[in-house]
Amino acid sequence: MDVPPLEARAALATVEKSRLRVIDEIGLPQWYWWGLALGWIILGWVTDLNYPWLTAAATLVFGAVHSAVAPRVINGRHRSNQLSVNADIVDRHLPALVLGGLIILAGITVAGAVAISADGAQHPVTITSIFVAVVIVLGGPRLLAAVRRRAVRSSARR
Amino acid sequence: MITAQFDELIHPSTRLSIVALLAAADWVEFSFVRDQLSLSDSALSKQLSTLEDARYVRVERPTNGRRRRVHVRLTDAGRTAFRGHVAALQAIVGVAQSRNGEAQPR
Repeated sequence: MDVPPLEARAALATVEKSRLRVIDEIGLPQWYWWGLALGWIILGWVTDLNYPWLTAAATLVFGAVHSAVAPRVINGRHRSNQLSVNADIVDRHLPALVLGGLIILAGITVAGAVAISADGAQHPVTITSIFVAVVIVLGGPRLLAAVRRRAVRSSARR
Repeated sequence: MITAQFDELIHPSTRLSIVALLAAADWVEFSFVRDQLSLSDSALSKQLSTLEDARYVRVERPTNGRRRRVHVRLTDAGRTAFRGHVAALQAIVGVAQSRNGEAQPR
């Protein structure tokens, strides 16, 4: 079949448009960020109760629940139940990026709680956890938006 | 290694959009394809039947609670055909670009 270059170019543009539609679906479900933020606040509140055994148990439960949930969603391929984005499209470093971010936030929580505690506040960990929870809810989707922009740039280079 | 192979079955615009969408995903819900490409249920079903007959796509109906779901995925044959078709399109554009380059006055 003899296809004119203009038609071939238009067909390639159609392919790219479809690809961008899927890239737009890269992300983590909204409930993940809200659940994480809620868990963070609860963990902070439990820590402020000053029962080490309770804090240890709550941390274990938090870690176990996150370990059970994260592997399915943290790869950024299942933001909705409408599709599963192909692994080739998503940055393979995304899980490390999200987990790295959580480790940094854990450090900020501890450092913030120590600083607020030194200032004489009564519930230092709860206060810091609320701050971190806001960062999670607002910052998480922004992080994924940056990942999508990067995927678009990488798609354009192909 | 991708072999450039123009595929007339994939080439029509609607079918190309469907296959390109499926190529970027492992599976896609029927309603997502329909909504993204602004097609009616029957129009999409017809296109998918054609692609299914060519063994380029597989339509699955996973049982997940009471809600009826229809997943569409590209088969390995469909993925190979799509990559070959894209390579053929790129080759056509590439040849045209190099001809234009040669035709440019120095």
